[in-house]
Amino acid sequence: MTFFKDFINVLSAASISFLLLSSTFGCIIYFCLLDGRLRSKGGAAFVVLGVIYFVAGIFIRPLLYLAVAYVLILFGLSNLGPRLWDKKTGKWLLIFGMLGFFVSFFDPNFYLIAAKPDNVPIGAMIFLLGIFTWIALRKAYLNDKQIEAGGIPWEKTETSEKLFVWPDLVYTEMLCMILLTIVMIVWSVGLRAPLEEAANPTSSPNPAKAPWYFLGLQEMLVYFDPWLAGVVLPGLIIVGLMAIPYIDTNPKGAGYFTFIERKWELGIFLYGFLVLWSFLIITGTFLRGPNWNFFGPYEYWDPNKLVPLVNIDLSELVWVQWLGQPLPKLWPIREMFGIILVVGYMSLPPLLAAGPFRRFYLKMGAPRFYVGAFLFLVMMALPIKMVLRWLFNLKYIVHIGELFFNV
Amino acid sequence: MSEEITPYQVVPKTPLAGSAAADIREQGEMTRRSFPFVITAAWLALTAALGGLASVLGRFMFPNVLFEPVQKFKAGFVADYAVGEVDERWKDKFGIWLVRTEETVYALISVCTHLGCTPNWLPTQNKFKCPCHGSGYYKSGVNFEGPTPRPLERAKISIDPSDGQIVVDKSKQFHQERGEWTDPESFIKL
Amino acid sequence: MASVRGIQEGIVNSQIWKSVFRVGIPNTNRKRVLAVLGSLILHLHPVKVRRSGVRMSYTWCMGGTSFFLFLVETVTGLLLMFYYRPTIEYAFTDIMDLREQAPFGIMREMHRWGAHAMVIAVWLHMFRVFMTGSYKPPREFNWNVGVILLVLTLLLSFTGYLLPWDQLAIWAITVGSSMARATPGAGNEGPMSGLIKLGDIRLIHAGDDARFGLIGGRSIGAATLLRFYVLHCVAIPLVAGFLMAIHFWRVRKDGGISGPL
Repeated sequence: MTFFKDFINVLSAASISFLLLSSTFGCIIYFCLLDGRLRSKGGAAFVVLGVIYFVAGIFIRPLLYLAVAYVLILFGLSNLGPRLWDKKTGKWLLIFGMLGFFVSFFDPNFYLIAAKPDNVPIGAMIFLLGIFTWIALRKAYLNDKQIEAGGIPWEKTETSEKLFVWPDLVYTEMLCMILLTIVMIVWSVGLRAPLEEAANPTSSPNPAKAPWYFLGLQEMLVYFDPWLAGVVLPGLIIVGLMAIPYIDTNPKGAGYFTFIERKWELGIFLYGFLVLWSFLIITGTFLRGPNWNFFGPYEYWDPNKLVPLVNIDLSELVWVQWLGQPLPKLWPIREMFGIILVVGYMSLPPLLAAGPFRRFYLKMGAPRFYVGAFLFLVMMALPIKMVLRWLFNLKYIVHIGELFFNV
Repeated sequence: MSEEITPYQVVPKTPLAGSAAADIREQGEMTRRSFPFVITAAWLALTAALGGLASVLGRFMFPNVLFEPVQKFKAGFVADYAVGEVDERWKDKFGIWLVRTEETVYALISVCTHLGCTPNWLPTQNKFKCPCHGSGYYKSGVNFEGPTPRPLERAKISIDPSDGQIVVDKSKQFHQERGEWTDPESFIKL
Repeated sequence: MASVRGIQEGIVNSQIWKSVFRVGIPNTNRKRVLAVLGSLILHLHPVKVRRSGVRMSYTWCMGGTSFFLFLVETVTGLLLMFYYRPTIEYAFTDIMDLREQAPFGIMREMHRWGAHAMVIAVWLHMFRVFMTGSYKPPREFNWNVGVILLVLTLLLSFTGYLLPWDQLAIWAITVGSSMARATPGAGNEGPMSGLIKLGDIRLIHAGDDARFGLIGGRSIGAATLLRFYVLHCVAIPLVAGFLMAIHFWRVRKDGGISGPL
């Protein structure tokens, strides 16, 4: 049993990177599953990813476990193939998920965290997200099969058929309201709202957490300074969401579930919504314990857990460790490499437009392409910084303490 | 009359004689020229008025008087504090750690410079550790681990010449990254 | 059975009933149309909808759920306001009383769980709208209104989080509001803020930066509690209600409940 727990803990510690990296390939997974075998392009991506994991695993222990888990999951999924979207499979996945969740409640450490009143809605959210993602992809899959066969998605077959709002819609709405009312009353009677001791400004609880829906942001704060993680990036999330309809000029897929007609949009959005938003919230809620240390799902939240967090800046890494020189006094010289890296990263869009994404550039036009590429690069900066932190203990790429400007 | 009448043009109803007609025509020209100017001025005035209103509303949210706890207190005598120890007796009331070293006494403000939590002093590990995001500081207040970008702040500290007690004034803070810890007000030289 | 029907008909045909509802039992198509058109609340709907607009498996009913939960929050919140005083002395004890002394003391529970549920419902609503591509023209503007409503939902929940004035509350808000300190150019620890100075004096400091304006002081205190209370109970709900009206209106004007156009 202890071996099992240790294994799960190591696995979950590694699962962040797993989900971050592999879900980038979520859209490819879908294609593999579409006809039950690895298509050539998707297959190549998987092999590359697998090799990366194994090579990295030689240096970083958890990644080795990760590589094994990765191959196992991939094997399972590709064997399941299109059957993943059968109602029966969905039902069994849900049952297994719930079973695993409730059996875990017998573990006292798991129970302590998952049964906290404020964490109950997040537990429910995990299942809701899973169910709804599955439903959406299943519907997309069914429609795509129709479209590939030359037909139309089923939502379109019903456009001409109109129903009276009274009684069809009104009664549906009323039923929903009654059900919701019952759920709310049962929930409120059954579970007390949390209330801790009165506010005390001189002693922080350990861990001190923001409201759960901001825990994704709090998780970003581990990797970025507050001005980025707390102000600029959330602002750009809102701007990016609002920009979606103006950047996405694909006329297809309006008003019905589909995947093949919108694979880029869905791939990017699902990555942002499920991984960078929801998964980070779940991490922040269930896996971040005292001192904001990382704890596996069955691990005891030991406030004295010692995790060396000695991170170094890029400037120190390059000047001191690689070049064997003292840090230059003047910041423009000291941070030269970091600034070049950041500026280089943010000036990728023109290169992308000229090179691999020329097709998109021509289709979207310059303003749309550049805004979209900028937002996309900003989004990807988070996982990139995360991976840099895990691999090199990198704290800042650019560290200009003189101006509070740290990236 | 066959010529077109624009709203900006003054057209005399009756033909006027010589100079008077020229005068009015000139006035008409003036009006036509000045119209863009007038409309621009109007828009500018409106924008300025709205901007002024918005900034007044904004300023309203920044009170002039604060009802905050006292920032200045007396902390006893230097001899009350052991050398090399971080003293926590003022943490709950004033949010201050007093640290006495061989040569100096300084007051660290117990607010994490990352996101404002209150760090804990861990004597066994000889460091301040913030429970929120794991920022760690040395006894001197300098950060060495975790996400925080800069050291803890020090408060103004002095010896009251009348009774020899330590006086800590939290309203003035000293930042190490701005090189302010060399300021004689930021520590007591023993 | 006959007598039940008789009573029902008697009620429906009475002058009082007719004066309120105008239409009798909507059992003909004409009456169904009139029932929807003649009611202020129901006329939010069109008379007829696409079949997919009624299917729960397509719409997930999450927009409606969000709105319903907003109403639940309004009602329970109003009830809580009868007992709650937003001051440091009373806030915490009032919340204690609300759960221990108030009759049917589940209003706070319902308010809090409703808030969590609303955040989740709004997310799932956005998720569904994206997955069906229902932000595409002519619905771009309504998607934007929706994004603002999502932000307002989060802000409502965030401001409400402080009101119980317990440890959970003040530290969550401390962490959350400290980020404003780092606003570039406007927070005292933000990049570029140090450059704004008059001679040697920094113009942006802890006593006048973005965070100060948000919480009304240099640390979380009485002013913050009052500020968040007013934002939570009056300011944000008003704005959100106004935007919701626009949101629902545009749903109809932009082609009805999402579905292929």
